[in-house]
Amino acid sequence: MRLWNDLVRQALRGLALLICTPAAADVAYITCQTGDALNVIDLGRGADVITWDVPGKPAGVATGSNYVLTVSADSKVIRKLDAATGAVLAQTELDGGPIGVALDGQRQRVYVSDWYNARIWVLDLETLSTISILATGEAPAGLSLSEDGRWLASADKEANQVTLFDAQSLNKIHQVAVGTRPFGLNFAPDGRLFVGNVGSDDLTVVDPDIGRAVATVPVGQRPYGVSFAKGRAFVTNQYENTVSVIDTDSLQHVQTIDVGEYPEGVDTVADGTKVVLANWFDNTISIIDANTLSVIETLPTCDGPRAFGRFLVKGAVQ
Amino acid sequence: MKRRLFLAAAACTLMPSIALAHGPTRQKITVTAEVAADPTEVWSVVGGFQDMSWHPAVFATKGEGGNEIDATRVLVVSEEGWPAIDEILYKFCDEKKSYSYRITAVEVDVLPVTNYSSHLTVKPRDGGGSIIEWRGAFYRGYPNNDPPEDLNDEAAIKAVTGVYELGLDALVERFGAPGS
Repeated sequence: MRLWNDLVRQALRGLALLICTPAAADVAYITCQTGDALNVIDLGRGADVITWDVPGKPAGVATGSNYVLTVSADSKVIRKLDAATGAVLAQTELDGGPIGVALDGQRQRVYVSDWYNARIWVLDLETLSTISILATGEAPAGLSLSEDGRWLASADKEANQVTLFDAQSLNKIHQVAVGTRPFGLNFAPDGRLFVGNVGSDDLTVVDPDIGRAVATVPVGQRPYGVSFAKGRAFVTNQYENTVSVIDTDSLQHVQTIDVGEYPEGVDTVADGTKVVLANWFDNTISIIDANTLSVIETLPTCDGPRAFGRFLVKGAVQ
Repeated sequence: MKRRLFLAAAACTLMPSIALAHGPTRQKITVTAEVAADPTEVWSVVGGFQDMSWHPAVFATKGEGGNEIDATRVLVVSEEGWPAIDEILYKFCDEKKSYSYRITAVEVDVLPVTNYSSHLTVKPRDGGGSIIEWRGAFYRGYPNNDPPEDLNDEAAIKAVTGVYELGLDALVERFGAPGS
């Protein structure tokens, strides 16, 4: 009965979407760690939030075209969920301390970092079975795949470095010293890697081709995540309840934007007009207009939103 | 009674917990209390970073830097053995009657947490009086997998909740409940 109601509701939503918004809307998949849930938030229709149960304290997230990957830190379970229905398409239980996740659609792989054992699992996207294991520095957290698919990077928090792998061969190519305790990281559209250092309150900019840090940029207190829009980097500062906006060319500070308490995961919508971030303490997401650099909307979420990874996708829920 | 939350550190065998490795799930709690006194009066008591004598579990406060950012304080939580919590101020706003601080060093047998940050805020209450809100974010005391019972997530939540409740209960006693 419940299932039937859900199906009817989804059909109606699909119909409403078709009528009201001809273009597919951006959808946020927000992992709520304390709430053991995933919120599905259609950014065009903010109030209408779907909640799926995801037990085991989910934090890491990665979105594909029609599925979502979640990493539950306590239960160590990785799930692949149908993006439209929340049905579990595959799941696997790992050991150690799975935390960060990155998707490699081109090669049908999923990468998951192991916080406790200095390694990355390479999983098959279809079955989530382990294909390979890669060695990193101590306490790898954030993972990112470059947009051209060439590089896989891990932020090795306790080693104060990033490890760069050739994503095709899975060979380790570089280990690059960065700031103190890097946690989140992301490749900019131009191919450089931006790394948030929670211990030194700065970003390290890494050129992956030469395997070197090319710049250090001061940001706010405890920078956690970074995303890009309109030639700028948007960095969530956990201890400051702000987002630092940095020009990616000049690396100059452009503006500081006040957001909610304990901002964490941050991502950019497909057309680059909005930046979305999760406020862990407030149980909200903030939506920033990437042109005006102001918060245009704040929407409620389940308890303890982390959204650690890429959590936005265009028009997955119909 | 609740003073037992602050167990005396008998032997300092553990490294002070600074912001290094931590457990998989950050915890958060919010405890609030309503009192009859107006926010200005309440803030005059709780709004000094260097004086936490309003909290029954704090035996002594010493520190430096006043209410400036990066001011430090050491909360001594018992006369016996002087177990202490080292804290640093990272936000202070007289206007909003709010300050935020972090623990820079504490033994987990004094308070079983790591990576702890906290905010104390006094807000006006509808109908008169104040709402005092104390919020904390922290990881459990044991940074690795399979924590012992006294250092797991539940133990951390219980201990911090107990500290907040004890302090806020004392303020309700001091200022009276609203409407009474």
